Amino acid sequence: MVSFGTDEIISRIVERYSSMLLHLAASRLDSPADAEDAVQEVFLKLLTARPVFRDAEHEKAWLIRATLHRASDIRRGAERRNLPLEELAEPAAREDALDLLSAVRALPDKYSAVIHLYYYEGYSIKEIAKTLGLPAATVGTRLARGRERLRQMLKEDV
Amino acid sequence: MDHKTYREAFDQIPFSADFQERTADLLRRCARESEKENKIVKFSKTKKLAVTIAAAVALLVVSVSAALVWLTPSQVAELHGQDLLAEAFEGPDAIVIDETVETGDFAVTLMGLVSGKDLDTMNPDPGNARTYAVLSVRRLDGKPLDNETFDFFHYTMTPLAAGCNPNAVNNWTLGAFASGSAENGVYYYLLDTESIEKFADRTVYMAFYEGGAPNNTIFTVNDDGTIDFCDDFTGVHALFTLPLDSAKADPAAVEAFLEEHTTGWTNERTPVEDGDYVIEEQKTEDGVNVTIRPAGGEEPEDAPYTVTPEEIAAGTPYAPEEAAERLIAQNERMEQHYAEGTMSPEDYARWKEEYGPWLEGLRNGTIAMVLLENGTDYSYNVSGEDVN
Repeated sequence: MVSFGTDEIISRIVERYSSMLLHLAASRLDSPADAEDAVQEVFLKLLTARPVFRDAEHEKAWLIRATLHRASDIRRGAERRNLPLEELAEPAAREDALDLLSAVRALPDKYSAVIHLYYYEGYSIKEIAKTLGLPAATVGTRLARGRERLRQMLKEDV
Repeated sequence: MDHKTYREAFDQIPFSADFQERTADLLRRCARESEKENKIVKFSKTKKLAVTIAAAVALLVVSVSAALVWLTPSQVAELHGQDLLAEAFEGPDAIVIDETVETGDFAVTLMGLVSGKDLDTMNPDPGNARTYAVLSVRRLDGKPLDNETFDFFHYTMTPLAAGCNPNAVNNWTLGAFASGSAENGVYYYLLDTESIEKFADRTVYMAFYEGGAPNNTIFTVNDDGTIDFCDDFTGVHALFTLPLDSAKADPAAVEAFLEEHTTGWTNERTPVEDGDYVIEEQKTEDGVNVTIRPAGGEEPEDAPYTVTPEEIAAGTPYAPEEAAERLIAQNERMEQHYAEGTMSPEDYARWKEEYGPWLEGLRNGTIAMVLLENGTDYSYNVSGEDVN
């Protein structure tokens, strides 16, 4: 069982998961600052909700799902209120990288999550299925469709 | 697109250099404040528990088996540090259900639910109404459940709606969180989901069962759109009908929701879960076999997995060092699975036996790895023999 609250555990969780969750949140949100807010809120949710995890894998799956939901909430909230998300703040990125980031963020949630876990985290289809609680076949389908949409979007950009 | 390109693009995002330090500081401050508040919460909980215990003692007159003390939904919310939600569970909008289904070794009780905006301080989106439901699980033989032995992830608690396929309206499409914890030998689930009140003009269910995302081996959809567990579903399962106020239904919102989430459903048992084709991964002595076939197509009998030269040519080859990195990452995950007990010693030994030569082959160019168009990695001996 994994609990959350002591200084030592806070350090471990933040150190272990920050990078992964920030990049995951950035697959939905244009602004790095928004992604940082989303991840901080997820850590805070972990602190206040104190869910009990069976093991590290359970803990990681919870964090991944919470981050995806929170990032999508922030995005939907801004869209509903017709507010622009913060301006893109990635001046250092190359143009082709920016195109790719924009294309991933333009994907529906269900595709971008699978695409990101596969390409950035290097998870297998089975691992993604377990993490997101989806059948492996669904993950495979979403991966293929997400790739196809990305290909079309990036081609159109060119 | 390959993994390297993707990673490079995301690695260029300029996150704050002090994010970790800043976040850890924030969390430590909140933890300290929460610790102070918890003393009050615990005191408050003790008072409420005292009332519950008094009631339980009274009930003992008629029921000597009432040895366990149940928390109320409000106390479960408190247990999760959600004071606003705890108040809501005691407010006029809360729906008390308290229905129990005995299934397998367990008694599963849907205790209650409440819907509303801003009931969770960590979900500050003001436009986003959520539904929260509390369910308890206890053993019928009276043995206590605890956090160490109860397998939270082995079970699913999810809303369903009649007239909507179970794979269209469920935890995953509704963006739900589930938290769980044991208290006094009873295990409590707190589900936090997008509001389900919009479905209130139809029969809305709360299901609890062994397994993951809904599929047609678990649920069957009747001709009138109502949903039941499959007759041959043998796992722990309970289905509750929710007494929602039909006046709160929002057919337009449901239509929009279904437009986004509806996928095909058939009660016929085929491996089809979603989409145009099925991908199955199976661990074998030679590594991992991936079978891809059209949805609804026949499963090949004893047909070896093969990838055609055309498919390889259409894929994206990895550079030797990148392929090696992917295999090394896979090895780390295997080691983690083994360390966590989710991989058998036999499988681990087999993996280790193959891993060394495989890695060497990738590095010296006798084995190549390619990302196929279906999104899977495929390794093969350059001489033509399959590797995985």
